[in-house]
Amino acid sequence: MRGYTRLGLGLLVAMALLAVVGPWIAGSPYSQPDLLRDALLPPSGAHWFGTDQFARDVFARLAWGARNSLAVATIAVAVATTVGAMVGLAAGGRDGILGGMLRRLIDVGLALPRIIVLLVLIAAIGRLSTLQLALVIGLTGWSGIARLVRGETLRLRHAPYVIAARALGARPARVLWRDIFPGTLAPVLVAATLGIADAILLEAGLSFIGLGLPLPEPSWGGMMLEAREVLGQAPWLLFFPAAALVAATSAATLLGDALRRTLQPDSR
Amino acid sequence: MTTLLEVQNLRISFPRRDAAPLIPVDDVSFQIAAGELVALVGESGCGKTLTGLAMPRLLPVNARLGTDTVIRLGETDLAHASDSTLRSIRGRRIAMVFQDPMSSLNPVMRVGAQIAEAVTAHARIGRAEARARAIALLTEVGIADPSTRVDAYPHQLSGGMRQRVMLAIALAGEPELLIADEPTTALDVTVQAQMLELLDTLRQKRGMAVLLITHDLGIVAGRADRVLVMYAGRIVECATTAALFAAPAHPYTQGLFASIPRLENTASRLTPIPGTVPPPDQWPSGCRFHPRCPVAVSRCRTERPPLEPIGAGHDVACWVASGAAQ
Amino acid sequence: MTGWLLRRGADALLTALLAAVALVALVHALPGDPLAAVLGEHSATPEQLAALTARWGTNRALLPKLADYFTALAHGDLGFSMTREIPVTSVLRERLGPTLLLGSLTLLIDFTLGLALGLWAALHPDSWRARALGAVTIVGYAIPSFVAGMLLVWLFGIRLAWLPVAGFRDVLLPIDSGSGAVFLDRLRHLILPLTTMVLATIAVPLRQQRAAALTVVAAPWVRAARARGVSPAAIAWRHCWRPALTPIVTLFGLWLPMLVAGAVFIEGLFSWPGLGSLIAEATTTRDVPLVVGAGLLLVAAVQLGSLLADVLYRVVDPAQRTP
Repeated sequence: MRGYTRLGLGLLVAMALLAVVGPWIAGSPYSQPDLLRDALLPPSGAHWFGTDQFARDVFARLAWGARNSLAVATIAVAVATTVGAMVGLAAGGRDGILGGMLRRLIDVGLALPRIIVLLVLIAAIGRLSTLQLALVIGLTGWSGIARLVRGETLRLRHAPYVIAARALGARPARVLWRDIFPGTLAPVLVAATLGIADAILLEAGLSFIGLGLPLPEPSWGGMMLEAREVLGQAPWLLFFPAAALVAATSAATLLGDALRRTLQPDSR
Repeated sequence: MTTLLEVQNLRISFPRRDAAPLIPVDDVSFQIAAGELVALVGESGCGKTLTGLAMPRLLPVNARLGTDTVIRLGETDLAHASDSTLRSIRGRRIAMVFQDPMSSLNPVMRVGAQIAEAVTAHARIGRAEARARAIALLTEVGIADPSTRVDAYPHQLSGGMRQRVMLAIALAGEPELLIADEPTTALDVTVQAQMLELLDTLRQKRGMAVLLITHDLGIVAGRADRVLVMYAGRIVECATTAALFAAPAHPYTQGLFASIPRLENTASRLTPIPGTVPPPDQWPSGCRFHPRCPVAVSRCRTERPPLEPIGAGHDVACWVASGAAQ
Repeated sequence: MTGWLLRRGADALLTALLAAVALVALVHALPGDPLAAVLGEHSATPEQLAALTARWGTNRALLPKLADYFTALAHGDLGFSMTREIPVTSVLRERLGPTLLLGSLTLLIDFTLGLALGLWAALHPDSWRARALGAVTIVGYAIPSFVAGMLLVWLFGIRLAWLPVAGFRDVLLPIDSGSGAVFLDRLRHLILPLTTMVLATIAVPLRQQRAAALTVVAAPWVRAARARGVSPAAIAWRHCWRPALTPIVTLFGLWLPMLVAGAVFIEGLFSWPGLGSLIAEATTTRDVPLVVGAGLLLVAAVQLGSLLADVLYRVVDPAQRTP
């Protein structure tokens, strides 16, 4: 499996380069110098990935799109992980009514398919800015992490070192934070890495149906949407963002799997 | 007594990718007569289970039999038999009972159905009759209330009952030879005795031969007609039970007897056999027991001793014991 | 069994209700202009605004709105679609069929082909075909559903022009065409969306079945069955497939949300007139009652599916049944 891990790392490096260095070396993703002459050009020396039907350079859009997509995904995962971990820790750490209610809360969160909640939120709020989109994607993804953390917390409460800490007189909240929480970090890290793949896909999917990033902003999903109209004439407009999307999600998935193998060797 | 099963030069090897093949069973030969109870005794890792699996050819896919290996059941050559021939003798002429009754029974299938499966595999009879046979077999193996138990799932039965069910399944085809691989190891001591008693009764009633594979010398006494002692893939001693218990000839067998705790010896420590059983890829040259043997001589290190008779119905593979130490 | 069923059913109902309340409350508690859908591009005079507000009740407090909504829901009324001006339930009824068609066919294929392939891959682990299958599943897993769909559209719809790429049927087909022609037309429109849905969702049953079957194939009872002389076919069926079935059933509950997500994107891609594309359209036009109505329906479906999976699990695994 080492081969797959190396592939994942390679893809990660490529994506990072694209997102960080790409926009620097590419031109503007918005400029449309000459609509008549420069629209729908195939890849060439001047335009590495060609141009789209609005004469915009595809490579520039791809690179800026990388920056957008990865930024949105990272923020979303950070939000989801933070909220989910806090809820899960509280739910697992407290028995009685509060614990029961929190457990019910997590169940309800899991019962609502993420895409539905996202669409409902977008319908209610209206057009979202890039940051708002990232927050909304993040806020719909906390329940998976919460369930994971709750499970781990429940398990670790019976671990000998935790019982020892309690026996020494430590307060439950302190035990929760200092002793149990670090034990949950490994599976949380794995889930967060895999969650990045989900977030990238959600943003791309939403942009693909026109509900994602606000329009002039480049996004891989949006690029694929625009490619639909001219698919017969300029298929490269589909291939490049598709390849980028596959590369980015594969990188996250492969690295997440590699992390799981390293940090949690017993899980299948 | 007619010879039922004849095994000559049984050799089981496992090819490996970048190393010499593993040979956990190396040149094993023995015979079993009709109606006899033969015990195959040895520690874990000596190859006795593989030997047992070889008879009905149930070895793992990558196992290879030696080229001059002979396995003959009556007139049938099992070593080179086709799949359909093997399927027709499995359950019907040779039956097997495995060590762990919990995992050897399909957990989502009722026990009666599993017994009936064994019956219908070799006889064209209807479901009702197969079920009746299953109930009859359950009675024969001593399970109370068989007409209810026949519909039970394995997890609803105790360990002893499951082992009896395994026996019922094995007997369904009316086999001539029953191979029992550690049939009592997973059971409580009291249940062990019952199981062995049952095995003996059934054997006598049906005139069935039994190959009893075990690491426990204790269950062999008083039940087996003959005993084969196995060490590191080879048979080192072969004798009638009486002869073996009276005068064990091979140093390994002697060591086994000496290490059994006895009620009479009140104060002395147990005398184990020094060292451990070597793994199959590190077997010593010559006599494989020589590194642990208290009486080994130079010949033992270089030449492999053949099985030689040293008395009536008593063979041993040892240079020292057969008096050929030079 | 009945006692357990009642308890589990009540639990599902409670969770579904809480989820519904959460969803509706979320919508009504958020900032954002709820009348935007109705107003569209136009601006309105204060009187018009007041009339609209009164009509749609957008200025009332949260709790009364929630109470009203759920009272109406209990009577089967999901409100009025703001953009279409007809009851939400009518819209849902119209769009339910195509989603059921696509969804049930996907389910059928995933859980027959997926299980068969998974079992086969476990029984023949070293063949090149099994390794090829493994590679294909990894690739299928890595490529997002709408990307795969777009690639299929490009290949079969445009490059080769074999299959239609949008819609449910050919609107230009004459009304009096024979049922054979109609059936063929439907089939041609079904192929690409169905293939995309299957590609997007088959990985889960396939991998699970392969893992379960691998454990089972090495199981001791298989060797015991061989020792009785049972035929290879009976072994594969009774002793491999049937015991491996138990863990498969549980993943049905996990698989359903995947189906829902797939439906939204893939129905949108193929202009398939189902619930998934409906909810996306309604979101674009900010028709909140419609979005919420469709959303609630899908949530209920997922809960039902999860309950069904739990029931099936108890039926399939005998160890669960006995008290």
